[in-house]
Amino acid sequence: MSEADVLKPLKTWSHLAKRRRKPSEYEIVSVNILYNTRDASAPYDLDPNIPMNQWYKKFRDQTALKHDDWNAFRDPYELVYRTYNMLQDGQETYVQGLFNQFNEREHDKALDPQWAGTLARLYTPARYLFHTLQMASAYIQQMSPASTITNCAAFQSADSLRWLSHTAYRTKELSLTFTDKGFGADERKYWETDPAWQGFRELMEKVLTTWDWAEALVALNLVAKPAIEETLLRKFGDVARHNGDTLLGMLTDNQLLDATRHRTWVTALVKMTLEKPGNAEVIKGWIAKWEPLAEKATQAFCAALPDVPDAAATATQGRHDFQRSLGL
Amino acid sequence: MANLGRLDWYDLARTTNWTPTYVQEDELFPPQMSGSMGIPMPAWESYDEPYKQTYPEYVRIQREKDAGAYSVKAALERSKMFENADPGWLSVLKAHFGAIARAEYSASTAEARMARFGKAPGMRNMATMGMLDEIRHGQIQLFFPHEHCAKDRQFDWAHKAYDTNEWAILASRHMFDDMMTTRGAVDVALMLTFAFETGFTNMQFLGLAADAAEAGDWTFSNLISSVQTDESRHAQIGGPLVAILIENGKKAEAQKMVDIGIWRAWKLFSVLTGPMMDYYTPLEHRKQSFKEFMLEWIVVQFERSLIDLGLDKPWFWDQFLEELDYQHHGMHLGVWFWRPTVWWNPAAGVSAEERAWLEEKYPGWNATWGTNWDVITDNLLAGKKELSYPETLPVVCNMCQLPINATPGPAWKVRDFPLEYKGRSYHFCSEGCQWCFKQEPERYAGHLSLIDRFLAGMVQPMNLAGGLKYMSLEPGEIGDDAHNYAWVEKIRTDRQKDAA
Repeated sequence: MSEADVLKPLKTWSHLAKRRRKPSEYEIVSVNILYNTRDASAPYDLDPNIPMNQWYKKFRDQTALKHDDWNAFRDPYELVYRTYNMLQDGQETYVQGLFNQFNEREHDKALDPQWAGTLARLYTPARYLFHTLQMASAYIQQMSPASTITNCAAFQSADSLRWLSHTAYRTKELSLTFTDKGFGADERKYWETDPAWQGFRELMEKVLTTWDWAEALVALNLVAKPAIEETLLRKFGDVARHNGDTLLGMLTDNQLLDATRHRTWVTALVKMTLEKPGNAEVIKGWIAKWEPLAEKATQAFCAALPDVPDAAATATQGRHDFQRSLGL
Repeated sequence: MANLGRLDWYDLARTTNWTPTYVQEDELFPPQMSGSMGIPMPAWESYDEPYKQTYPEYVRIQREKDAGAYSVKAALERSKMFENADPGWLSVLKAHFGAIARAEYSASTAEARMARFGKAPGMRNMATMGMLDEIRHGQIQLFFPHEHCAKDRQFDWAHKAYDTNEWAILASRHMFDDMMTTRGAVDVALMLTFAFETGFTNMQFLGLAADAAEAGDWTFSNLISSVQTDESRHAQIGGPLVAILIENGKKAEAQKMVDIGIWRAWKLFSVLTGPMMDYYTPLEHRKQSFKEFMLEWIVVQFERSLIDLGLDKPWFWDQFLEELDYQHHGMHLGVWFWRPTVWWNPAAGVSAEERAWLEEKYPGWNATWGTNWDVITDNLLAGKKELSYPETLPVVCNMCQLPINATPGPAWKVRDFPLEYKGRSYHFCSEGCQWCFKQEPERYAGHLSLIDRFLAGMVQPMNLAGGLKYMSLEPGEIGDDAHNYAWVEKIRTDRQKDAA
């Protein structure tokens, strides 16, 4: 063989070298990392027909949402593991600082006991709801057809654990001031039986059992999460401020930064899928399918909010504004 | 400070199970995905992870760890480690990154399986962090070798390997897919976190970090130590599950999963870790033989973990201990002989001094494995390099996908463990691999080994060139002797001296 036939070292991975520009750290470590998309007959390298291979072939590869190259997706934030922790350690330092300062000022003692009762019923049970977001995002992580998507879903799952953790922390703290409101004891009862929560519980139980990955993504990120964020974070944060609960308002504002990031990545993914004819209809169809449950959940929760007659309308408006921004 | 302590609210953060009513429990947690074996929900809720960490602690500690590992790398970027390292050490790096980086990323999928489908809430939270850990391990073990791409085309395989049908990757994919990504949450916890991570990699990474430090590769040493600290946390996901399974009458099922995991992990270790420790690592840097390392760190420690948790030693334990004497020598001989089929340059490791070391560590090595290397050495001395290359393919095992081999010499004990299943003949290297197949034949029956593919005409043309093409190996990537046969010349000089 001649010298010319011998492969020479490249400046980067061979799969990135064709593009003739220096790859970023994000691209080096995030692009084309899954290997379960290499063989359409056997996502995993055992018998092609084992149940898990059938699961991936049916629920991932045969979804109605189509794209020729899912690996073309890029997270607009280009977050890698290293920068995710830098970002969120900074955010946690801020939030733990809030907890500290408000505790030193005896914030909870200044809260109206009636508001504390509202928190016990309408705020602290949210740890169950946030946990469903954590679980549902972990499903998107394991089923998505490109590593640039699975990374976003993994960070989203971890962010949901973050929201859950804040809620658990505040539950404990509130229980120290308000010993008779059922903090730390009654959350599961409210989550399972209180009419305010049943809409969101029904929505998330059904999202969690949606196995088609693209429908699960649309139901979670384009419908359920926006509904939950507009209601539980934005609207309830406003209500908190109006009830002298400055801490909760600042906490939900911080959590909304995560929500904004989640909307940004999924918006970029939706935009990429719109390159292919037919996908807009598929996405719109799924949104239409899931909207009634989200609307019912929003209405049920907002009906329980004290003295905020337009809560459901503004929460719904916020969700629809986001959906409209997708350009479907 | 007026912040709550972590344990004040930790339990609340893992009290998240509820009773679904809009869907059935088996719909929310399909038995196939959760691996729950009919054990009732309250039993899963008794799960208590021994390593407790909260989200704010996680992002702080992990940020600090990355700051450490990346700054060591940055500081040593101009250190000439690559230029000064023994070629055998570079082979360790190439083999390690190629076989491991993207498999670690795939483990994030397995962790996500537990985060979604585990029925124990504490397990779901720990697995959420485990999912992030494995993204870290994939990303950091791609970022670090990437700097070497421009110096050596074989480093491209740190990324490329898993996109190919290279035989060692076929074996790795088959093993990792069997224990990580194709099973329910409980099985993943038992096989990946307990059998593989607790049993093997947690300890192996400590050993590898020490070897790297010996070899002067501080960047890699630091990287591997840092990865190991994550493993030592998320490897503990499986342990508490064993107790729940035993209490609920599922000891046999737990034992089986763990046994399959151990056997399969052992086989992969015998082809990757064994040759690295006993042949590639320069002699002066070897602290322990592979067998000594396995006995001290894996066998003793793991035996204790198994017994502590209420499990038994696997039925194949004696055979496993017996294989510690020979299996990796055969794997190494095979890898070196078929060296064009790997993406690293295997170090032969059979100079006179190295052979003396091997004989000391493995009495009888010269009279057995040594005789094969005598033939190779004599051919190379005689200038007949072509005779040191393979003309045929080895028979590979239908479970571990590795060449079937045993100790050569007068007591030649190599044998095939065949099995007929639904009209097809399968070949196994050992009773252990055959046993794994028999436990659930449908998991493996439709898989074709590299040799099955060759015989089915899927590898064209049917010769070494066709095989290399099938494995996506081209000149510039294919392996050759790590030291460019310098050890043969040393032997020649020594013999000439002796003759004089």
